[in-house]
Amino acid sequence: MQHPTHWNHLLVITLLAGLGWIVMTRVPPEQPAVLGEVRMPPAAEAAPRENHPAPDFTLEDLNGTPVSLSALRGQVVLINVWATWCPPCRAEMPIIQAAYERYHDQGFTVLAVNLREDTATVAQYMQQNGLTFPALLDRDGHVSMVYLARAVPSSFFIDRNGTVRAVYRGAMARSVVSGTVEQLLAEAP
Amino acid sequence: MYPLIEIGPFNLSSGGLLLLVAIIFGVMQFERVAQQRGGAPLAEHAARTVMPALLGGILTARLWYGLFNWDLYSRSPELFVALRIADMAWPGALIGGLFAAWLWGRRHGLAISALADVAALTLPAAQAIACIGLLLSGEAFGMPTSLPWGIELFGPLRQPTQIYLALAALLSWFLIRRLQHREYPAGTLFAAYLALQGLTLILIEPLRADSLLLPYGLRVAQLAGLAWLLAAIAWRRDQTA
Repeated sequence: MQHPTHWNHLLVITLLAGLGWIVMTRVPPEQPAVLGEVRMPPAAEAAPRENHPAPDFTLEDLNGTPVSLSALRGQVVLINVWATWCPPCRAEMPIIQAAYERYHDQGFTVLAVNLREDTATVAQYMQQNGLTFPALLDRDGHVSMVYLARAVPSSFFIDRNGTVRAVYRGAMARSVVSGTVEQLLAEAP
Repeated sequence: MYPLIEIGPFNLSSGGLLLLVAIIFGVMQFERVAQQRGGAPLAEHAARTVMPALLGGILTARLWYGLFNWDLYSRSPELFVALRIADMAWPGALIGGLFAAWLWGRRHGLAISALADVAALTLPAAQAIACIGLLLSGEAFGMPTSLPWGIELFGPLRQPTQIYLALAALLSWFLIRRLQHREYPAGTLFAAYLALQGLTLILIEPLRADSLLLPYGLRVAQLAGLAWLLAAIAWRRDQTA
């Protein structure tokens, strides 16, 4: 292949094939999430599973104020177990923040349960990323254990009655968060 | 996954540690290979290029990451200078490092093409080390998969993208080392390196679950990879003309 026109052909073919491949392997648009109907009545035993009452807990926030899940009854709650060293946790934080800003006034809140990191690390991370929802410190990993959150991030959507309605392991897509929150907010308490 | 290494009171991030090892290894290897290929004069040129190239690479790696995470970085611009190892992107590092080295080399009359060939013989090995760091910290994690060699990471079994990247780097290293003893114009090894890097990004990036995106879901790294591949072919065309 010594002639320049051959190289030009190769350039054009590479360009077209490359662009075609890149468009083919793009990230497809997200599908909105659809929740299953809640079975009536929900199971009696508290467990971090769908259709079970969410296990209650009390943890301190970054100011040292205790926050209880049961005190948030009547609101839609996202419990997100996370750590600053976990890449998919970091990836979904802006998505959670956007949902918090959009739906907070309608009765949606987030409890970001941090796994065994110190106050300064967590506070600095929240501040730098402009995250305004409450971060709770699970210093001994007790709550994460009760919620079987061995893999971070793990996310639990709790409806207005305190029932776990959706559980996600791994980072959530934007449409999953907003879709789930909208459906749970629309339900009567 | 071992994201943190506890040494006494310190929690070191394994990804950051391996990146540091990769950089130190890369710098030492860069000067050693320059000595082998061009003797003391080229080694001296190499030593003078290392710092500007590293600095340009690190700054542009962060700039690249920030630009494609604009909704977050525009809100907190101090993130552009925050001490965060993970908020960097390789395409930015290569482009910025290359550009800084080229500017610096031109100003000081350094043997840029010969140095680029030395970089091509050095960078892949350093990248392979850095990829082990990605694996330990869980960065650059892959799409969920049911393939038998999937690795469990953040819940599901995922494509071991970090291992694919490391293997691609080692394969590139092997191929470029085989080219080095033939008679080619200066800069050919680097063109080969750029083409292989381009192919790596174009082919492996779709398996990543954390790609930086443009509108329409296009992956930025693939477009950068295609640009590198085309640049390498165009360079070779001009050499043979």
